[in-house]
Amino acid sequence: MLTHREKERYDRQLRIPEVGKEGQGRLKQAKIIIAGAGGLGAPAAFYLAAAGVGHIRIVDDDRVDRSNLNRQLLHWEEDIGREKTESAKEKLGRLNPDVIIETVSSRIDEDTVAAMVDRCDGIIDALDNFSGRYVLNRSAVTLDIPFFHGAVQGFEGRATTIIPGQTACLECLPRGEQTHAANPIIGITPGMIGCIQASECIKYLLRQGRLLENRLVIFDGLEMTWKEFNIKPRPECSVCGKKNRKRHHGDNTR
Amino acid sequence: MSVTIHLHKSQRHLADGKASVDVAGRTVNACLADLIQQYPDLESQLFENSRRLKKNVEIYLNLESAYPDELAKPVRDGDEIHITLILSGG
Ligand SMILES: [Zn+2]
Repeated sequence: MLTHREKERYDRQLRIPEVGKEGQGRLKQAKIIIAGAGGLGAPAAFYLAAAGVGHIRIVDDDRVDRSNLNRQLLHWEEDIGREKTESAKEKLGRLNPDVIIETVSSRIDEDTVAAMVDRCDGIIDALDNFSGRYVLNRSAVTLDIPFFHGAVQGFEGRATTIIPGQTACLECLPRGEQTHAANPIIGITPGMIGCIQASECIKYLLRQGRLLENRLVIFDGLEMTWKEFNIKPRPECSVCGKKNRKRHHGDNTR
Repeated sequence: MSVTIHLHKSQRHLADGKASVDVAGRTVNACLADLIQQYPDLESQLFENSRRLKKNVEIYLNLESAYPDELAKPVRDGDEIHITLILSGG
């Protein structure tokens, strides 16, 4: 049920046939994890909170640095030195007091990930490193949680949507290697990609549209083009291979 | 027999600024070898050593992921190869 204030707040999207009261109810019931409150996490969090996703858990172990402010629009000059999760919670709470914002200020690794993603409906991969992404990807596939991947550098970004048991996962692609240099980046790029991730998440929750399943889109902000590539689950993938095989053979009981 | 290789933006300055290069070859490996023959500076961008692609390099053949065994994939006249780089920034 939507309150009077919610009906006012979401009036313009309630008018979209693909949303409506039923869809808005689905958004309100949902619990989404945003892993990373940085360049990708900021737009994803703003748009999910504005759309009325009822419960958002933000995970980040970092503090705000002045060099973050060109792209991480959740954080402002006055937040320098603050925990990113605290800064994010304050802004999002002021934007939409009708959504629950929960924060976890710790690092995502093998030991912490299971508790972090526990009983959530989707994971936004807004991290800034490969190791955390692969941990999160494995956990998502194991626990059957949709995983909305995005990554950026410079004027270039990419996104794909991973539905466990149905699509390729991150480990079905070549495994990248971390460099130690600071990632060159301008805010418009994670702005675009974070919005793609939030769009995918909202579409998934609404059960509407066509997701980026087995599709990797690459955004080139300098050329202003989007290229779409097909990816497919690798049968021998150590993360999703077994689950995807099971789904394709024998498991016809669903 | 001609195959088009689309270079990543960061590699184009090593190929006279070209976004794509026409090459000949029956496998991805042969096509990349032809590319490197034309623009030798690209070798260190693509290969870790003479047999292995660099870790952050992805190859798409006709818009399909060629991973794994990218280099062995057969190609035909008119095929398109895209070279992209895996990103990790957020
Ligand atoms: Zn996989």
